[in-house]
Amino acid sequence: MKGGRDLHLVGLSHKSAPVAVREKVALTTDDLKAALSSLVARSGVGEAMVVSTCNRVECYVYGESLDEARHFFLSRTIEAEGHLYAHSGPEAVRHLFRVAASLDSMVVGEPQILGQVKEAYGLAASVQTAGTFVSRLCNKAFATAKRVRNETEIARGAGSVSQVAVELVEKIFGDLKGRSVLLVGAGKMGALSAKALRDLGADRILVTNRSPERARSLARDIGATAEPWEGLTSLLAVADVVIVSTGAPTYVITRELAGQVMKARRGRSICFIDLAVPRNVDPACGQMDNVYAYDIDDLQKVVHQTHAARAEEAIRAEAIVEAEVMAFAREREARAALPVLAELRRKAEQIARTEAERTLAHLGEKLDEKGRRSVEAMAQAIVNKLLHGPTARLKEAAASGDSDLPGAAAALFGVEGQEPPRPRTPPTSPADAAAPTEPLR
Amino acid sequence: MSLQVLRFAALFYAGTATAYVLFFARPRHTALATVGQWLLAAAFLVHAAAIGLGCKEYGGAEFFGLRGGLVFMTWLAAGALLILQRLYRVPAIGAFVAPLILVVLLPTLFLVKPDFPEVLPEAVRRPMLTIHVVTALLGVALFAIASLVAVMYLLQEREVKGKRFGALFLRLPSLHTLDLLNQRLVRLGFVVYTIALLSGSGMAKVVWKSAWQWDPQQVSSLVIWMIYGTMVQLRHTGWHGRRFAMLTIGAFVLVVGSIATLNFLPGVTRHAGDFSGTRK
Repeated sequence: MKGGRDLHLVGLSHKSAPVAVREKVALTTDDLKAALSSLVARSGVGEAMVVSTCNRVECYVYGESLDEARHFFLSRTIEAEGHLYAHSGPEAVRHLFRVAASLDSMVVGEPQILGQVKEAYGLAASVQTAGTFVSRLCNKAFATAKRVRNETEIARGAGSVSQVAVELVEKIFGDLKGRSVLLVGAGKMGALSAKALRDLGADRILVTNRSPERARSLARDIGATAEPWEGLTSLLAVADVVIVSTGAPTYVITRELAGQVMKARRGRSICFIDLAVPRNVDPACGQMDNVYAYDIDDLQKVVHQTHAARAEEAIRAEAIVEAEVMAFAREREARAALPVLAELRRKAEQIARTEAERTLAHLGEKLDEKGRRSVEAMAQAIVNKLLHGPTARLKEAAASGDSDLPGAAAALFGVEGQEPPRPRTPPTSPADAAAPTEPLR
Repeated sequence: MSLQVLRFAALFYAGTATAYVLFFARPRHTALATVGQWLLAAAFLVHAAAIGLGCKEYGGAEFFGLRGGLVFMTWLAAGALLILQRLYRVPAIGAFVAPLILVVLLPTLFLVKPDFPEVLPEAVRRPMLTIHVVTALLGVALFAIASLVAVMYLLQEREVKGKRFGALFLRLPSLHTLDLLNQRLVRLGFVVYTIALLSGSGMAKVVWKSAWQWDPQQVSSLVIWMIYGTMVQLRHTGWHGRRFAMLTIGAFVLVVGSIATLNFLPGVTRHAGDFSGTRK
């Protein structure tokens, strides 16, 4: 590219660096703002943006080399050396697009990353280190992420055990309003799932444990009611979802118990989610009518399936990213041809105006206002018609990556083809930045 | 004339079924469900026009034949589906019911030979007959939809219990929703069918001079009524889910079986055929 400026990226992520290194380079928002400002203050840096999440820190620089981006990390900790990856040009563009589309995430397809990239861009825009280029780049990245979400199934399915449990329960009971959840045992994962179910509208969470103190303390933690262990059978008659995670070496919910419970429930459906190893719920319970029983392996299997399906969808997503990277490069090149066009048109219009004025001066009063306007319109029309063909062809040539034609045109018509100096004051908000001003359409 | 309009309605049903099935296949395109809903409403209205025109042409005698019965029943089913979608918003059901409506309606578009008396005899021209025909057909339509919902329940239960969590798992509504719908449809169908049975007996008393004649149609209707009545009762004693779904399907198979036997074996029943009241 002209002027030697391009996108450069240096970063580290869960793939390249252990958390011990990642936490050393992680920044607070205020640190980030200061770091961004000092980045663009350095020579050879036009624009800058830093994406910082718990899984990655990446420094994007639109400038002459990637040294400044590398310095950003090494000035923080020397340990980063050896864990950094660096890309330039289209490689860097592709990387950002993949990150935004959640293709580089630890759990591929997780939805948070797009928001985090948006935040990073918003921050860079707020301290005015994101200019026209970064704005265009980010908008394309967001559009790509949206396409990937809409056109592939990458974000589908449940990515974690408690998510699977929640989906299952929803498919059995539908609306969770008015349902109660019973937590048997004080396992951590059980508490997590119970919380997730309450967030979905489950009315009541009951906790029971062999040790009443632990039941009480867990109940306090998650806002549930502690119930005595001796009343398990009657609790089971009330609860709809039962999450079991005790340390007991045998079945806590036996088939006989489940049979009794179902009689007391008059057949109302019940769902056991057994998170314990060794198992606490007899799998034979699941064979009874309206009893649904799942163990940790069942849930884990779904998680694996989801991941496998997402890996498959990722291939399609990569193709979309590839297409968008190419499109971004083409748009950029097309824009590079625009200065020549703008100059050409400016010159032609100037000639037309001078000539029209001269003619009108000759004719003097012989023309009324209408006549004068016709002459001006004619001059403008000649310019438009003459330039129409060359304009189209130049844009085409630029779009297909041919940089010879714009150069030849510049030489032929005797105009300068340099990119006009960009204003150093970038837009103040992302919304403004999203609509970059172009010299010519 | 009414036939042309009916064919037009069938086109709309085809559109409805396509939209719902496509929505079922690609649940992310929620617009398809909306399109299905509107097409269904349009089909229902056009269908109503066809029925209105038919009444003008044949003076209502049309609905004494199997063909007219099917035309009217599919219309009632479409109306029921329309209300169901408004009340419960489960477009997945449309993917099952709309194709069935189309399939049942199709033969009536080509089977145009009139299979009904030219003019309704004076003896049966009573409001009670209208009530009987409408409720009987509505009852069967509701039982049909209930059995499709039951099929959906069994499919979803297979997914949930079999720990498969595949495409069907995602697309079908929750077991609770399906079970509840099934129950409500059966209950409503039973009430409507009861009215049909009572008005039918009333008509028998007028035409045949006796409310109970051991006519095969009467016997099968009573058996079906008792089965559905038992189901409504069983529900109160905790029967639900899989067993209830299987019962719903089984009962409807009986309904279809009795309709088919009684209509295709000539001379078995005097229902809708013998208005003389002379048999004694």
